[in-house]
Amino acid sequence: MIFRMPILALLLVATLAALTALWSGAFALGVLRHWDLTSMARAQLRRERMTELVSTLFGAVMLAELAALLLFVFNADRMAALFVGAMCAVGTLNVNPWGFPALYLKIAVFFAAVLWLILDRADRLGRDYPLTRVKYAALLGIVPLVFGDLVLETTYFLNLRTDVITSCCSKLFTPNNPNLANEMAALGPGLSLGLLGGAGVLLAASGIAALIRGRGYALYAAAAALVFAMGITAIVSVISVYIYENPNHHCPFCILKPEYGHYGYALYVPLFLATALGLGAGMLGQFRAVPSLQARLPGLLRAQVIWSLGGFVAFGLAALWAIARSNLILFG
Amino acid sequence: MSTWLNRQRALADFTLAAMGRRRIKNAALVMVYALVVFLLASAMFFAASLRHEMHQVLAEAPELTVQRLIMGRQDLIDAAAAERIGAIRGVSQARPRLWGYYYDRISGANYTVMVPDDPDLMPPPGEVMIGEGIPRARGFTWDGAPLFLSRHLGDLQRFNVARTFGTDSALMSADLILMTEADFRAFFGIPEGLFTDVVARVRNPNELGKIVEKAAIANPDLRFVTRDDIERTYQKLFDWREGLMAALAGAAVLAFVIFAAEKASGLSAEESREIGILKAIGWDTRDVIAMKLWEGGLVSFGAFLIGTIAAYAHVFVFKGALFAPVLRGWAVIYPDFTLTPQIDGLQILTLGLLTTLPYVAATVVPIWRRASADPDAVMR
Amino acid sequence: MITLSAVTKLYNEGRPNEVQALRGIDLTLAPGALSVLKGPSGSGKSTLLSIVACMARPTSGRVTLNGETVSGLPERFQTELRRTTFGFIFQRFNLIRGLSVLENVILPAAPTGEPRARVIERAMERLAALDLTPRALTPVEHLSGGEAQRAAIARALINDPPILIADEPTANLDTALTERFLDILRAERAAGRTLIVTSHDPRIWGAEGVDAVIELRDGRITHEITGGVA
Repeated sequence: MIFRMPILALLLVATLAALTALWSGAFALGVLRHWDLTSMARAQLRRERMTELVSTLFGAVMLAELAALLLFVFNADRMAALFVGAMCAVGTLNVNPWGFPALYLKIAVFFAAVLWLILDRADRLGRDYPLTRVKYAALLGIVPLVFGDLVLETTYFLNLRTDVITSCCSKLFTPNNPNLANEMAALGPGLSLGLLGGAGVLLAASGIAALIRGRGYALYAAAAALVFAMGITAIVSVISVYIYENPNHHCPFCILKPEYGHYGYALYVPLFLATALGLGAGMLGQFRAVPSLQARLPGLLRAQVIWSLGGFVAFGLAALWAIARSNLILFG
Repeated sequence: MSTWLNRQRALADFTLAAMGRRRIKNAALVMVYALVVFLLASAMFFAASLRHEMHQVLAEAPELTVQRLIMGRQDLIDAAAAERIGAIRGVSQARPRLWGYYYDRISGANYTVMVPDDPDLMPPPGEVMIGEGIPRARGFTWDGAPLFLSRHLGDLQRFNVARTFGTDSALMSADLILMTEADFRAFFGIPEGLFTDVVARVRNPNELGKIVEKAAIANPDLRFVTRDDIERTYQKLFDWREGLMAALAGAAVLAFVIFAAEKASGLSAEESREIGILKAIGWDTRDVIAMKLWEGGLVSFGAFLIGTIAAYAHVFVFKGALFAPVLRGWAVIYPDFTLTPQIDGLQILTLGLLTTLPYVAATVVPIWRRASADPDAVMR
Repeated sequence: MITLSAVTKLYNEGRPNEVQALRGIDLTLAPGALSVLKGPSGSGKSTLLSIVACMARPTSGRVTLNGETVSGLPERFQTELRRTTFGFIFQRFNLIRGLSVLENVILPAAPTGEPRARVIERAMERLAALDLTPRALTPVEHLSGGEAQRAAIARALINDPPILIADEPTANLDTALTERFLDILRAERAAGRTLIVTSHDPRIWGAEGVDAVIELRDGRITHEITGGVA
């Protein structure tokens, strides 16, 4: 264990999130069992008012988790100085086997919280709260994620030992070792950008189609997920290379460092938000048939697709700008 | 979107107007909150700039230090070892050093005595160059006062002070005494040909690990310490001290959380009547919660700003007067120096999470409880 | 049109201090009419008013507003309805102390997200119509009784609700001010608003322009006169 302020802050976030999840989970069980909008009983009114607390708490948890996600990566990067062989966040996360799973779970918690809030928003549009049961069943699914996050993160931080020699991005993201990260790095720059562009065209087409026809949101969500995957791949295989101006440096974390103007945030923040909104649109699209949502759900869906498309455009521009201003020439 | 903004603006306007009526009560809350932020921020800023200072100093240090071990204790090393080290493949330069500590009974402080290897810093024979802490510890009243050092009762060695160092790099040089090799050997009684340790530079720093590994096998009586080892040790030391401060500040945060929770749940008749009115005229539970969150947000923001700025002034203008002893160490000679401000997003984000999150956690449930008042309460 | 059928209301349900405030109320309130609920204190008229105005849910029974059942709506939608459909004038006016008249008047518009400039413009028009323009920036605790009541009326009308609710509005007013209040009520009725007032003040339920008087006692309707009283 290394006693550091950012670690304390991260553990604080994870603990509070877990407490919130525990309490909300217990409440969710009560909702699933007793929710009855036709009841005039005081208990039902109290339950309705409790949902306001749960929504508020989850909003807070989502914001805190977003901040914690940034802090987690930021801190890992800064702690690299403590470990032999670590140059950036990758090295710190590799110090023990829990680092990367903790990061992935944090990302999962962030996506889950955003999706849940979108569901919550839609639920509150209908006068009969049509999605309440779905929403609280989903909440029960999030509880283990939040707890897993706390457990993994604590295990990871407790087992940080400075005498371990770790390996950094130069080892992980090279085309020599057979694993996913290396395959991403090994993908040719032209192929990778082509795949991203293709996914982008698919995304734009499905998004515009969804906006015009008022359906096909699931397709849009799938396209958003595809662009997310292709976007991350392109960052590893091409975009980061342009930012570093070094054809052999493929790290998706070093671009967050001050040496590179924190450029990574301009790529990741819009990409993550746009993907979350796109997935949310796909999720809400399933509920278009609910009678009490007919009036207001289409507007919400449209807004969500538009914001999501805007986010992807911002990501695309950030990627293009990184390539355009670079002194590195990979093509021609 | 604009509806959302208008609603937030209207809620914020109301919050400001409502808070303006309880100026003293709110100001007291902000001040207590700001004090907590101040404690935590001071500890963080201080530790961060110490780390930075240490990093700067170590950046100029040689990559490798070699000591001789006998029975697990460090011993003097001979000049031949320096040649042996210099001959290791990859080592570009090896140089023996003479340095040690001198305990000064008069001031009760430890001084670091060194033979400099930079010719510019070499004092003339019989004279010394000293760090700025020594004249302070000795209470020198005039410039050019000689330095008397005594090794045992009845012994007194006089050195004229050739130069006193400034405060730019005081963290490392405050307690330093530089003298010539001959004076050093005479003063401490070190025979010719023996040295404290050997420092070396390597051609390719990336290969340092490999070089140390091989050299350690070939020279089992020598201990190789790399610059990174030293830096890591210091990092951990500073982290640990920062953590100590954080634990103290944590107690303050806890006290504040209890205070805030108490304050948020203690419902004055006036306030509960107001919330009743708002709910009756068409404010939803969510609107009241949002309004109260604005209140909490404004309080947090104000406290954060005040606390952070005060901490900045405390650490970088007043040199961390309050916690310097804890964070720098327990040395008698405190270096008198100005810290370079080292503030980045990581610290601000950490500070924000560590202070606002407990506040939100402490107040959200009382806020919700107030907001879910019955709208018809005012009619009864 | 508001209808209530078999509405009952229990307070402190299931506890020893249980109170039955309303017992089986059936009632229809005509649109565009000025209806007065009268009865001694404790008769249940304020409870009835709060149920009519979507402030509280009945324990049983059904309330409909223009044909839509509103008694079973989640609180959030009842609130939305209350904000858009009802304006409230309370017995002690319930203005928020320390804020100015204008700040009080625009309060019900805050959650609607309407542009602030438009809300303020409308509020100032209202205040002008009620002769309160010079007092707009005065803190409400410096108002006279009549001014406070007119400020409360302006606040009730800020969202332009079709139904105006007043709970014992003249309890603290002298005859001249009561007359002035009745003039305002009649003007709003003429403008097409539905008015529902509780009162045990004969100056109100005996006044000209009252369309219906409903008398309550112990949570039951004991007497109901409709179709022009005075």
